Amino acid sequence: MVDCLLDEMGKQEPYLNHIEVLQGTLDMLILRTLQWGPQHGHGIGQTLRHRSEETLQIEHGSLYPALHRLEKQGWLASEWKQSEANRRAKYYKLTAAGKRQLAREQSKWDAIVRTVARIMRPSEGR
Amino acid sequence: MPWPFRRPAREQELDDEIAAHMAIEVKQRVEAGESPETAEIGARREFGSVALSMEVTRGMWGYGWLQAAHQDLRYAAKSMRKGRAFTAAATLTLALGIGATTAVFSVANGILLRPLPYPQADRVAVLWRLAPPAAAFGGDEFPWGRLDFSMFQEHAKTFDSLGAFQPDTFNLTGRGDPVLLEGIRASAGFFPSLGVTPALGRFYTAEEDRPGHEHVIVLGDRLWRERFGGDRTILGRSIDLNGFGYTVVGVMPPGFSFPHGEEMLATLEFPREAELWVPLSIKPGEAGPSELGVVGRMRGGAGIAQAQAELDVFAHTFELRFPTSKGWSRSRAKPLASQIVGDTRRPLLMLLGAVGLVLLIACSNVAGLVLTRSLGRRREFELRTALGAGQGRLMRQLLTESLLLAAAGGALGIVIAAAAIDFVKKFGPVTVPRLQEVGLDPMVLAFCVTLTFLTGLLFGAAPALGVRRGKVGDSFRGGARIAGGHLSPALRNALSVGQVALALVLAVAAGLLARTFYGMLATDSGFKVDRVLTFELSLPSAHYPDPAHEAQLYRKALDKLRILPGIESTGMVHAVPMGGEPDATMIRIPGRDPKKEARPYVNYMFASPGYFATVRTPLLRGREFADTDTLDAPPVTIVNRAMADALWPGEEAVGKQVGVLTPTIPLRTVIAVVANVKQSSLKEKPLPQMYVPYTQSEIKNWPPMHTMQVAVRTTADPAQMTASLRDAMRAVDPDLPLARVATLSTLLDRSLTQPRFAMLLLAAFGVLALTLASIGMYGVISYSVTQRTREIGVRMALGAERASVFSMVLGEGARLAGLGVAIGLAGAFAGARAMSSFLYGVRPSDPLTFGAVSLLLGSVALLACYLPARRAMRVDPVVALRHE
Repeated sequence: MVDCLLDEMGKQEPYLNHIEVLQGTLDMLILRTLQWGPQHGHGIGQTLRHRSEETLQIEHGSLYPALHRLEKQGWLASEWKQSEANRRAKYYKLTAAGKRQLAREQSKWDAIVRTVARIMRPSEGR
Repeated sequence: MPWPFRRPAREQELDDEIAAHMAIEVKQRVEAGESPETAEIGARREFGSVALSMEVTRGMWGYGWLQAAHQDLRYAAKSMRKGRAFTAAATLTLALGIGATTAVFSVANGILLRPLPYPQADRVAVLWRLAPPAAAFGGDEFPWGRLDFSMFQEHAKTFDSLGAFQPDTFNLTGRGDPVLLEGIRASAGFFPSLGVTPALGRFYTAEEDRPGHEHVIVLGDRLWRERFGGDRTILGRSIDLNGFGYTVVGVMPPGFSFPHGEEMLATLEFPREAELWVPLSIKPGEAGPSELGVVGRMRGGAGIAQAQAELDVFAHTFELRFPTSKGWSRSRAKPLASQIVGDTRRPLLMLLGAVGLVLLIACSNVAGLVLTRSLGRRREFELRTALGAGQGRLMRQLLTESLLLAAAGGALGIVIAAAAIDFVKKFGPVTVPRLQEVGLDPMVLAFCVTLTFLTGLLFGAAPALGVRRGKVGDSFRGGARIAGGHLSPALRNALSVGQVALALVLAVAAGLLARTFYGMLATDSGFKVDRVLTFELSLPSAHYPDPAHEAQLYRKALDKLRILPGIESTGMVHAVPMGGEPDATMIRIPGRDPKKEARPYVNYMFASPGYFATVRTPLLRGREFADTDTLDAPPVTIVNRAMADALWPGEEAVGKQVGVLTPTIPLRTVIAVVANVKQSSLKEKPLPQMYVPYTQSEIKNWPPMHTMQVAVRTTADPAQMTASLRDAMRAVDPDLPLARVATLSTLLDRSLTQPRFAMLLLAAFGVLALTLASIGMYGVISYSVTQRTREIGVRMALGAERASVFSMVLGEGARLAGLGVAIGLAGAFAGARAMSSFLYGVRPSDPLTFGAVSLLLGSVALLACYLPARRAMRVDPVVALRHE
């Protein structure tokens, strides 16, 4: 969908230095971001970009389905508050269940990284 | 307003949330030095598709599908309103297909599927005696005799109850004009076997079903209401039937009139609607002719197989006791349901198949329409894709549109079906069993809804798949003209070929039935219907106790009618053509050994002098009956040609002798041979038939002579004669009603109702199929011409003749039509073989029908291509090329 939209606008540029968010990891990243305190959707998107040093390219639009999904799971809670832009925005924060979930995701991720790294190592020596 | 009409709070909140996001982004970008406009665009690009994001987010809420469906529906309704002509054409096509199918299904449902109105009807069996295969005459089933029924009743262990019944007519007097009622004489086990209960009073008991006690009566609901004003105090009162007083003991509930004539052996001539029931009262050891139907309720746990096994044992017992009955002792048990449905099942299945084909054609036609339209809407879809609509969502959108279209078609279809059912009930053949029970019941409605849904899926599948195959962006890059894709022309052509093939199958079936029908009309019936009026006389046994009295009355009636002004000739017979079934008997011929040859079985009817002349049955040899052929004169008979050919092949039948089996009854001399007369259907094969003068009835109890049908040939319009005939008959016997007054042509017409109706129905389906297929063909070719306008322009610019363009387009149509006809012919050959039992006088592979129908279909298809071909021929190359 993204391809086509850019294609249509004639501004296609290759994402050479960008990494597409791995399927399923977005939830984890959002939970992680909210560990530092409540934040609204725009803020979450910016935090993700900054902390990945601009390599992580996330369409902001794709954040909202994830946020609403996490809220429905009971891992996030939300409230409307005044934002820095002098405008009301919807702030999300971790719930207790969300914190437990983050811990689970974290250990799962560590395991994946270790495993993948182990497999990838021999190829370096070729 | 409740959701889904109100915009929910959650929806508003999502809007706000995203608006806030945008506002913050824009603010940051402006602070970083971008102009407000660039900031706005940048924010949007950063965000991606707002619509898609909202759409997916809604999906997270859990009821997204419902909302999506609501949206799809709204959009579908909008697009249906936009394409009015398309919507109207598709809806009407579907409505016709669904309506016709629902109507036929409702008839099949009412007749074949709905349970019978008797409790535990699966335990009710109908029993018939079986004739040996050698004596095949029509069917192998024949009625029970009193003796064999009584014997079996004593013997039977698999039945809780058994009831024997026979039709009879009853002359009701003492309440205004005498009226002839059609009723049933039934033994006491009859009602318990069916499991019915009376609405009022009780049934007669086994004690009342004995000679001397039998003057009790159970009234039918209609008789009770119409003749006795629904009087509840009628129980215990006496009414006069055939000169005897009968005590009313019960009244049946509305709707009960078992047995119906069309559901039983035709030879028994049961009334269409029985109005009353009286005891059969069999005398102990009484023999007599075979004229009983038998119905029985099987014991719990026993089935038809056990009943049949018991009948087989009984056959053995019977033969031991009556050694001469060898070969004629077997019987058959069959479920009541299959007895009632009888021969209706196969015609119904044929109609269901035919209407199914129509529905298929309608479906594929609408699929073609939707496909064409969806190709035209390609730009719209791609725009929506570009704006973030998922592919799955687009397919769902298309399917929703198809289903909505189908629903509209289905709704209109139900209306059409209801009208069609009313029409069939009013004008359909009266001989179809249970037809009046047919209606739009829940089962039919469920069928219609399912059908609608399946139809929507079926014709919606093609365009939906088309979307999946189409590559996004095609139309923006190359323009809509080449965006047809590679899949769809093939699919559209296949749909069109299929329609032509199916239409051919239907048209061939209709053609064969039409040939059958006109073959029946052209057949040599052996009688002429013009200016002949018929009616039936039924003599009550109280006043006319024996054949001598009966003959006396008939003689008086004939003498009176002969001198009536306006009457050319008159005669009587047991049953005029199409007026009833003849009796039948085994016969003996002197000099032939019954042990070596199968005993011949022939129809046996009384007739009067003047009968053959009146109905114009050709006398091939010999003389007609005369008034002098009385009991004092030598016994004579007239045989038909079939009997003469069967019994005395290559010999002169006149002068030969023939008699019934009873040796004490003298042989009759054949005095004439007449042409074969079609007795109960123009389709029947001629059966051997002998006529005996009513003045020489020497057998006391068989065949009964208490009913005779009178035929009068008038000099003017026969319908004008009814009143003077009534007056004349009143002078003969004032208590004698004239029953079943009808012209011979009416009787003939009535016998043709069913085949005519089947033919017209199939012809209507055929015409519908033909129209739909030619519209489909027109659509395909016309669309192809539009698509190829540029190509045609190029060809012309390069020097192609207009004529060659014309023939190119026509050739494309001809190829499709030819393929459709070829496939259709193969299908029609198979289909025609399956319907061979409905045909008469025409072979299932009749070359004329196949040729004519192929030609017709081919020409109609080409005609459908003619208009687009002419349009192609007129393409102006300059315009076509500039168009690009």
